[in-house]
Amino acid sequence: MAITDLPLFSMLRTRMHWHQERQRLLSQNVANADTRNYQPRDLAPLRFEPTRLASAAPMVLDRTAAGHFASMSGTSSRFEADAQTSYEVRPTGNAVNLEDEMIKVAANQMDYQAVTSLYTRSLGLIKTAIGRR
Amino acid sequence: MDFMRSIAIAASGLRAQAGRMRVIAENIANADSTAPSSGAEPYRRKIATFKTEVDRALDARIVTLGPVRTDPSEFRIKHEPGHPNADENGNVRYPNVNALVEMTDMREAQRSYEANINIIGASRRMIQRTIEILRS
Repeated sequence: MAITDLPLFSMLRTRMHWHQERQRLLSQNVANADTRNYQPRDLAPLRFEPTRLASAAPMVLDRTAAGHFASMSGTSSRFEADAQTSYEVRPTGNAVNLEDEMIKVAANQMDYQAVTSLYTRSLGLIKTAIGRR
Repeated sequence: MDFMRSIAIAASGLRAQAGRMRVIAENIANADSTAPSSGAEPYRRKIATFKTEVDRALDARIVTLGPVRTDPSEFRIKHEPGHPNADENGNVRYPNVNALVEMTDMREAQRSYEANINIIGASRRMIQRTIEILRS
């Protein structure tokens, strides 16, 4: 039995993937902070439903011949990205608000820290159960 | 590793803003460059543009520097009859560079640059946290 089969660990792992994906979208928003007609995007909040937990593996295209390209966007299709509704759009059509994005990055980082701490703690629990501590 | 992609996207932002700073520096340096002869035009202010580009390898929308365009506004005209490039009325055309506008632009570029650096720092700390799971 792999460690990821435990529901707690798989949930924490999904959460960590979600934070990774969100960090990517936020850095995209900040990089495009001065691009014309750019709409910032963010991830939809993560909801844990029993049905979705079971099928947590990302859907990837199968490679039937050696010459095929490996499909790349396996991870990004897992979470839904949506365009944010921003109240502040500049005359160039850009709707990125740098302050908002920085706050989101900080929140993302703190939540990620919480998840990794939980992961460490859970590993410690298992170690205690085995009796190595 | 997804965090490396975040860092690569932020790096594209850094590159674009650095290119913009180069254009601004060119404008400020040439703020008083008159035409080589009396009939020709003096230096024309340049504007850096950005465009979003989909990077296939990163699977993300990075930013690149688009074509550098010129500012079509009027040149500054100064009355200097003694200038070698003065026309018959004694007027000399100077570049349409406004130092105040350039400074504001520079501040904006600086601010965006710092925001991208912050993203890189945040991603780096998140990678560190992931590695720390191993240490427990």
